[in-house]
Amino acid sequence: MLQTIFVGLFGIAAIWFGVVVFTTSSMVRSALALLFSQVAIGAMFLAMQSEFLGVLQIMMMATEMSIMAIFMVMYMMDPGGLMGMDMTHQKRISQAVGVLGALLVIGLVFLVGWGPIAGSVSPGRQVHDLGIELMERSMLIFETAGITILTAMIATIAVALERRR
Amino acid sequence: MATLIVALIIGAILFGVGLYGSLSQTNLVMIMMGVELMLGGAAVNLVAFWRFLHPEAYSGQVFVLIVMTVMALEMAVGFGVGTARFRYKGSVEMEEARDLKG
Repeated sequence: MLQTIFVGLFGIAAIWFGVVVFTTSSMVRSALALLFSQVAIGAMFLAMQSEFLGVLQIMMMATEMSIMAIFMVMYMMDPGGLMGMDMTHQKRISQAVGVLGALLVIGLVFLVGWGPIAGSVSPGRQVHDLGIELMERSMLIFETAGITILTAMIATIAVALERRR
Repeated sequence: MATLIVALIIGAILFGVGLYGSLSQTNLVMIMMGVELMLGGAAVNLVAFWRFLHPEAYSGQVFVLIVMTVMALEMAVGFGVGTARFRYKGSVEMEEARDLKG
């Protein structure tokens, strides 16, 4: 019962801050709202007893969103939102598609028979078993993710470099 | 069962909000924020599936790690493209980015 309340509360916070991202006119506020939304998602992971992923999500998003805030202020035409510029298009269609997409998935949640609910796993055993999984059965996937990150880093630097004429 | 349903509904709403954002915004950075929210919603669903349906199968958690990697890469590559675009055109407004249109 307590778990459901906490998952629900953190979930409402994540949705609320997610909506604020697109409704506020200040870009710094927008980046901070996304940071709080992602932290609330991390807190949901913790409430669902997934300690490792919860802490990882919070740590990763804190750094990622701080960098994002700098880029937003650099690249947006009206970062402070003082000129009242409208930076949206096809608003009605987007709202309709967003609501329909969410309703479709919620409908699926109630239509599918999920089967029996499993018991919890202790945090210590969880971290141990995840480590074994990453270093044994899923090692190739884990290594592929590492190589992909390296490739993306090189590609990003190559794309962003200034062309010399 | 209630917690699983609550988590899945929240994941679905986050996905919907992200979908709205990525379709309605004209700026590349804001579009990427929408995609981040959609991936966040997907990650909530994955953790809920792992915890409440198959806590003994850790491939569920590995899947979430891959989603987090995709989130970081999407941001890095997006900003790389944004930087190149900003140098070339002086803006990252996607309304003006019709260069690749046939």
